[in-house]
Amino acid sequence: MTQFLASGSGMDGIKHIINVLCEPHWFLILSCVALAVFMVGYRTFTKPPIAAALAGVSTLFFIASCLDPNFFSIVSKGDNVPIVMMMVTLAFVLWIAFRQAAINDERMEKGEPLLEAGADDKVLVWPDLVYIELICLVLLTAFLVVWAIFLRAPLEQPADPNVAPNPAKAPWYFLGLQEMLVYFDPWLAGVVLPGLIVVGLIAVPYLDKNPRGNGYYTFKQRPFAIGTFMFGFGILWIVLIIFGTFLRGPNWNFFGPYEFWDHNKPAALLNVEFHDLFWIQMLGRPLPTEDVAFIPAYIIREIAGIAVLGVYFIAGPIILRAVFFRKLYVQMGFIRFSVMAMLFLVMMLMPIKMALRWTLNLHYIVGITEWFLNV
Amino acid sequence: MASKEIISKVWIEDGCIVCDACETAAPDVFEVLEETCIIRPAALDVEFCKPRSTEIVDAAEECPVDVIKFESTTVEVSDAEAAAVPADAPASDAAPAAPVVAPAKAAPAEAAPPAAASVHASTAGAPDPAIAALLKAATTRGGHAGMLKNADGGMASSGSTRGDARNLPPEARQAKVQAAAKKASADADAGRRAFASSGALMVGWGAFSAGAGLAVGPAFTRFMMPNVMEEPDPRIRIGKLQKYSEMEPGGVNEDYKPQGIWMIRLEDRIAALNIICTHLGCIPNWLVNERKYKCPCHGSGYYQNGVNFEGPTPRPLERFKIYVEDGIVVVDKSKKYNYELGQWDQPSSFLLV
Ligand code: SF4
Ligand code: FES
Repeated sequence: MTQFLASGSGMDGIKHIINVLCEPHWFLILSCVALAVFMVGYRTFTKPPIAAALAGVSTLFFIASCLDPNFFSIVSKGDNVPIVMMMVTLAFVLWIAFRQAAINDERMEKGEPLLEAGADDKVLVWPDLVYIELICLVLLTAFLVVWAIFLRAPLEQPADPNVAPNPAKAPWYFLGLQEMLVYFDPWLAGVVLPGLIVVGLIAVPYLDKNPRGNGYYTFKQRPFAIGTFMFGFGILWIVLIIFGTFLRGPNWNFFGPYEFWDHNKPAALLNVEFHDLFWIQMLGRPLPTEDVAFIPAYIIREIAGIAVLGVYFIAGPIILRAVFFRKLYVQMGFIRFSVMAMLFLVMMLMPIKMALRWTLNLHYIVGITEWFLNV
Repeated sequence: MASKEIISKVWIEDGCIVCDACETAAPDVFEVLEETCIIRPAALDVEFCKPRSTEIVDAAEECPVDVIKFESTTVEVSDAEAAAVPADAPASDAAPAAPVVAPAKAAPAEAAPPAAASVHASTAGAPDPAIAALLKAATTRGGHAGMLKNADGGMASSGSTRGDARNLPPEARQAKVQAAAKKASADADAGRRAFASSGALMVGWGAFSAGAGLAVGPAFTRFMMPNVMEEPDPRIRIGKLQKYSEMEPGGVNEDYKPQGIWMIRLEDRIAALNIICTHLGCIPNWLVNERKYKCPCHGSGYYQNGVNFEGPTPRPLERFKIYVEDGIVVVDKSKKYNYELGQWDQPSSFLLV
């Protein structure tokens, strides 16, 4: 702390602390803590005065930050304005949902009728729906026109196949996927995991047959389901988009929000391979290069990583079942539970691998480059 | 005069999700075990069930998957007695717009007394009637709308939503299955004959389409191919050997980056690196000060000789075939050498200087 304060007086010291807190591992840990705190205290945080106060403080903070030239240049980039809007709308939508859940949960405890009771959900297409659509259409068009006039589309020079912009960023909604590519082999992060996201989302209604929460807001009745979703969507998608937009700079290095995007920022990222850790550091031997009987050398080289992954995916569901989900297992049955546990473990692979990369600079757990099999 | 239901038999079908709702509603009738829910032995007795009728109806109502079934008799009772059952009135007050009409719980089984077939249950006494109503809406086929329809159509039609065999008591279900089986075997003969003739037809059409496909398929494939494929000459002449042999070891020449080549000088040789990132195909930049190629897309980094050392990429940059022709260095981009396959030792992948 003293070192932070010594680095600059007042404002600079605060900026420096925030920059440090935005380093990837802190940023992820803090977002998870924030999410957890929010979900534990959702009844308090969603109370209108408290929520309004939180919104006000964050807005003030944002405005104050905009006085910093580095922060402002990133936030006001044509590409990034929608992401600022996304953060605001997301917070609002979350508030609405959790607010209603909080009210309902309270009423349920007291045995009072829910918010949704007595609601007549029958709505006529004409005029109710079409009318609203028409109004939205007009307002949104006006808004887009104004936006287009005041914020120029970020057009760049003609594309040149031999030059990539630095940093080269995907469309904002894919920045989470792009971040994933930093930690896994391209076919895993680019094909398998996104595929699993889609398949997993399709599978949700078949996995989760619990009717609690259908047609009414609640959090108390479904803490695991909602918590998992909030982690997968809120942290692994949204927070990674924010990561990618505001904190990834030239050469795909990390930059704090008040840091200058220096193209020559030194970054020591020397990769460490899991097989090196295992064979050279732990066993003090050279990497095996000889085939043994019919087992190719690369399998022996990666044996530790394969074992770790095997334990993760085989013992994982068993432990989950025995420790956390005894009741859930009975309700879901073997097949549903296994599929759910697998999807859950694959999802958790992401933060695990991120943490390993940030702390140990671990490249791959299993690295069979010969067969493009890297995890 | 009001009416009151008397439960004569209650049972649980497959599909219980062990949600505990029934045990909460009627603890001395239902018992929730690890994997399923059972009727407590004591409750198999009619006399035991009678006084607990309301609770049982409630439990059936609460069950999110509707597996609790019962048979009941409706008896007329005096108003005074009806008032003793605090059921209908308060509940419908609590959730006026979500009328819960139980779709005939017990189907008109032969055994049941005629007039008592359908059951008009209410959310009476449930801890939170609105939830019960919503759960009901969520689990009734056709959702809320279906329920409303049921309510409109009155009791007579209410059986239609749930009229399928699953809701019958076991004996009736058995009989239904037997009847269906008998009918099926009678139909089988006629079916077999029809199948034979339609089978011949199918084989005929199948053969025809297969033949047509065989004839037209290749032609179509060829038609979809471009007639001319433009491909630039993969051999690129990049100047005198001297230009490269005079570079400092560890140097990188970017003159031919637009053609996709980095010329690198190693200790005793020169080689041509492919500039495409082996991670996902972006174009890295050569950072002179840090002496590395750094990719702007996901941060992969490579040493000057092309070997990867940071970021996600799994393998080093590729090298091209290189040779000298009339004193001019030529790089052939159609032939690549991969480090992880041990190909960088092959003589055509470098020039000794
Ligand atoms: S309410 Fe239905 S599903 Fe729930 S425990 Fe009872 S019988 Fe089983
Ligand atoms: S394409 Fe170069 S690091 Fe991903």
